[in-house]
Amino acid sequence: MDHRLYFALGDFLANLVVGVLVALAVWWIVTPGWNMFVAMFAMMVLGMILGMIAFMPISIKLGAMETMVPLMFTGMVSGMMMGMGEAMMTHSLAEAVGVGAVAGAGNIAFMWIANSLLRGVTRDGKSSADA
Amino acid sequence: MPDLVTQAKWDKIAPKFDAMAGAGAEERWEPFKRKLFANMDGRVLFLALGTGLDIPVFPAGKTITAIDISPKMIEQAQERIAAYDGTIDAQVMDVHEMPFAEGSFDQVFTSCTFCSVQQPVEGLKALHRVLRPGGQLFMFEHTGSRFYPFRPMMDLMSMLTERMGPAMNRMTTDNVRAAGFQIVEVNNVYLDVVKTISAVKPDHE
Repeated sequence: MDHRLYFALGDFLANLVVGVLVALAVWWIVTPGWNMFVAMFAMMVLGMILGMIAFMPISIKLGAMETMVPLMFTGMVSGMMMGMGEAMMTHSLAEAVGVGAVAGAGNIAFMWIANSLLRGVTRDGKSSADA
Repeated sequence: MPDLVTQAKWDKIAPKFDAMAGAGAEERWEPFKRKLFANMDGRVLFLALGTGLDIPVFPAGKTITAIDISPKMIEQAQERIAAYDGTIDAQVMDVHEMPFAEGSFDQVFTSCTFCSVQQPVEGLKALHRVLRPGGQLFMFEHTGSRFYPFRPMMDLMSMLTERMGPAMNRMTTDNVRAAGFQIVEVNNVYLDVVKTISAVKPDHE
């Protein structure tokens, strides 16, 4: 996680907003009766694409890879969760917003943990984290 | 003769490059670049100067030879070159066809460059040639990831971005090693995707 407040807060809010927007888009598209696996996979791909689109304007203020990777991941998870849920039963608008917010907040927390595990110095480039 | 397709691509982007790169990325990466560039010493080659976005974080008082494949990029960089408290000799040049003699430089620096060089290992071999034995390579690069789910995401992103410019999934550290350098240190700045790489051209090969 970037310890500068501007970036930490910006990353959190951007993922929250994208998670909610993707969940709402999926809530609008998918209806009960869809095959659950088709809905889950198709909405996962859609979410990733929407995350990529959202990345473009947001990256101007928040940076490149540090914005692109979490937003795509949030889009993917939010799309997958909402797609699966909506294929099983109808949800209210508030529930869809809740699912998206949980996906966004959960994913940025996951990214912060992953980053704290992977970042840092590796000697001789021999670490498994060395690409 | 430089790679004209690549040159035309970067020439086209040059006027709007700063807006595309975004102030966010520069601000986010500034402390890491400043620390890396603080190593500048001796005869320095800076690869892919672009519009000179990195110049404000160069240490003062250095004499730097900077190259870029795009004349339009160097044109855009002129104001920053003039403002630098030191000397920057900017030249239009393709990394694959550098006319510098073997061992001309003590150090080479790159900054988000090897996502875009057409033949990365060949480009790195060219840098290896112009460095003196024991010379140092310092890179600030974004690369592909070794880890799921980041790796397929970077592959997917590359399918789109390669049409405009950079690839997102290059395994640059492996390429540095394949070009004959010895890795000294890899510092992951963000995940294993944004990193600084320090390498050396071995004294005896």
